[in-house]
Amino acid sequence: MCGIAGLIDTALPSEALPDTILEMLGTIAHRGPDGLGYAVGDDWAMGTARLAVIDLESGTQPLGDPGGRFWLCYNGEIYNYRELRADLEAQGVVFRTHCDTEVVLAAWMTWGEQCLPRFNGGFAFALFDRRERRLVLARDRFGKRPLFYARHGNAFLFASEMKAFLAVPGFAFEQDPAQLASILGQWTPLPDQTGFRAIQALPMGEWLSFDRGGLERHTYARLAFPEGPAPAGEDEAKALIRRHLEASVALRLRSDVEVGVYLSGGIDSAIVALLARDIGGRPPATFSVAFDDAALDESAEQQVVAAHLGTRHDTLRVSHEDIAAACPDAVYHAEVPAFRSAFIPMFLLSRRTQECGIKVILSGEGADEAFLGYDLFKETLLRSRWDDIDDDTRSRRLARLYPHLGHYGPQDIAALTGLYQQFSQERMPGLFSHELKFQNGRFSARLIKGAGDPFAAISALVAGHGEMAAMSPVQRAQWLEYKTLLPGYLLSTQGDRAALAHGIENRCPFLDPAVVDLASTLNLRFDDGFEEKRLLRQAFAGRLPESIVNKRKFPYRAPDAAAFAETRPDYLELVQSESELAKLPFLDANFARRLTAKVLSRPAAEISTKENQTFLFLLSIALLHRQFVGRDGVAGHKAGRVHPPLVRMVDLRGAA
Amino acid sequence: MDKIRAFIEDQFLVEFDESFPEGTNLFKEGVMDSFGYVQLCRFLEKEFAIAFTEAEMTGNVLVSLTQIRETVAQKVARRGEEPA
Repeated sequence: MCGIAGLIDTALPSEALPDTILEMLGTIAHRGPDGLGYAVGDDWAMGTARLAVIDLESGTQPLGDPGGRFWLCYNGEIYNYRELRADLEAQGVVFRTHCDTEVVLAAWMTWGEQCLPRFNGGFAFALFDRRERRLVLARDRFGKRPLFYARHGNAFLFASEMKAFLAVPGFAFEQDPAQLASILGQWTPLPDQTGFRAIQALPMGEWLSFDRGGLERHTYARLAFPEGPAPAGEDEAKALIRRHLEASVALRLRSDVEVGVYLSGGIDSAIVALLARDIGGRPPATFSVAFDDAALDESAEQQVVAAHLGTRHDTLRVSHEDIAAACPDAVYHAEVPAFRSAFIPMFLLSRRTQECGIKVILSGEGADEAFLGYDLFKETLLRSRWDDIDDDTRSRRLARLYPHLGHYGPQDIAALTGLYQQFSQERMPGLFSHELKFQNGRFSARLIKGAGDPFAAISALVAGHGEMAAMSPVQRAQWLEYKTLLPGYLLSTQGDRAALAHGIENRCPFLDPAVVDLASTLNLRFDDGFEEKRLLRQAFAGRLPESIVNKRKFPYRAPDAAAFAETRPDYLELVQSESELAKLPFLDANFARRLTAKVLSRPAAEISTKENQTFLFLLSIALLHRQFVGRDGVAGHKAGRVHPPLVRMVDLRGAA
Repeated sequence: MDKIRAFIEDQFLVEFDESFPEGTNLFKEGVMDSFGYVQLCRFLEKEFAIAFTEAEMTGNVLVSLTQIRETVAQKVARRGEEPA
């Protein structure tokens, strides 16, 4: 795992480029504490901060081909690199290292962009062709690894994290009200959104080329839900699930350093830990977050799994004060507004994991998207059949949704029925499944003054993907989750950014393409869709404690923002004071103050989920403004910086 | 009845005016979510000592301030006639 950065066609003098690229890498050195490397030409430079995981000795970057034409900076892992290497060797490629980086370079040189669909992993890379003066950027199919780009005058910039652009002389950050309104409306950035004007994220499953002819973006992996051949019955389906997950975990255990597992207390991470133990030949080190608040805490279940598997388990207990103290740093690493505080404990957990000497962890992320674990999918199914089922069935299913929300239950079922009645028809083309959620997002979007339609971007995204038309309502819901919340929050703010803030590489066995494809052939084929992940649970019944197998989905949550922000007058100053709000003229200051006053003055039971979420949006927008637009992040970063050693420098200035 | 307007403005952080008239559909504008709708129903029942039937809660009678006012007024007027 690593961080990459670079700039080409820059007007900076060539003698300034080594310092500039080192400064850029320095801002993201947390992603790769094992060594920096860069290559520099007359008007370009690119480099890598490396976290050494595979081929610790000879895998230094940037990696060039023997002729010095191609230079690769690479972040991530291609888990099937050994198989690809064998394919390439069969074609006569001779390798100099045992690192997957060289496989990526050779694969591109051999197959061109056709190599991308062959890659099974989480990756982002930049490859510069000196002869053609062409830069290629590419990103994995599920958006596990980040890659941002921007124009700066005639120059083209790229980096694993936007904060690297803080090191480019003259580059200024500016928050984009229209993008912010969209992010608040959907509670997550869309695939190419960043919240900052002039900076774009390369979407999942895409690659781009930049040369004298300009910039072109291409899609190499589209999200589809293939209807594979039906297994003969449940037993065969369960066996297929086990076999695919075993293969996926085996691939993700490939590492020259120890691999640990994050345990949440739920079935998904328990399955991953079980398979890691069985395939790896010994119990893995496991790590968990615990909370004092019983409504959020799953430490008892975590202990049950750890004891059952015999893992070396470490629990990090996180208090409100811990979350309050870490909030600005976690937001600085996330780089985008956040609607939940749950990424802050994950940020702290990765620090703890690093202190324990672990560099790579596996997690259960992706299982809920693949195997329909979210209540949203059940809600979608219920609403899509709203008029076809009897009142009793409707009420019974409604009362089983969202068990963590206090107002969902038999006592309020008539009111909830009234609400869902209002949303039982599709009003926004293609967005049926998420309509109610997005309607709630309208509340958050009210933070932004005159930003236009917060749903214009998501409508355009959906309209651009004609394949949605053939999908069932639940598949559309899945598609949207894969395209929005998964890469926009779960794999980034709460995943990659939280883990790599402390040099931890996170791998997700449930997001293996074969596992996702298998799940899509099984979903709703053996179930009625109202008992989440039933086949997955049954596939591992008997191998995990019954209490874990039969436990209902317990969403991972952390304390509401108000619970920790109220202990920090400096945070409240940011979102309440006239002088601070005046720095954010695109915010509706009146609404911001009313919201803050309500969230802080009422008992928690009187504050709705969307109000809590909007408050955290507000706080994170203000923090990001201070750190990026106000450039406080530069000072904070330099104050605490420990530069990794420079392990490779390739000077091509003046070279043909 | 201004209590209803005050409750909605306070609960949902909106202000009724020309740009947000009292006839606005609170569901469609994203003002009323599940939590808010449950709070509103509880408030009305307690404040005006009335009880909504399931048909009233699931119909379109509680979607705007105007309709809520009318419905509550009718129920209050009929209160003495309804069985306890």
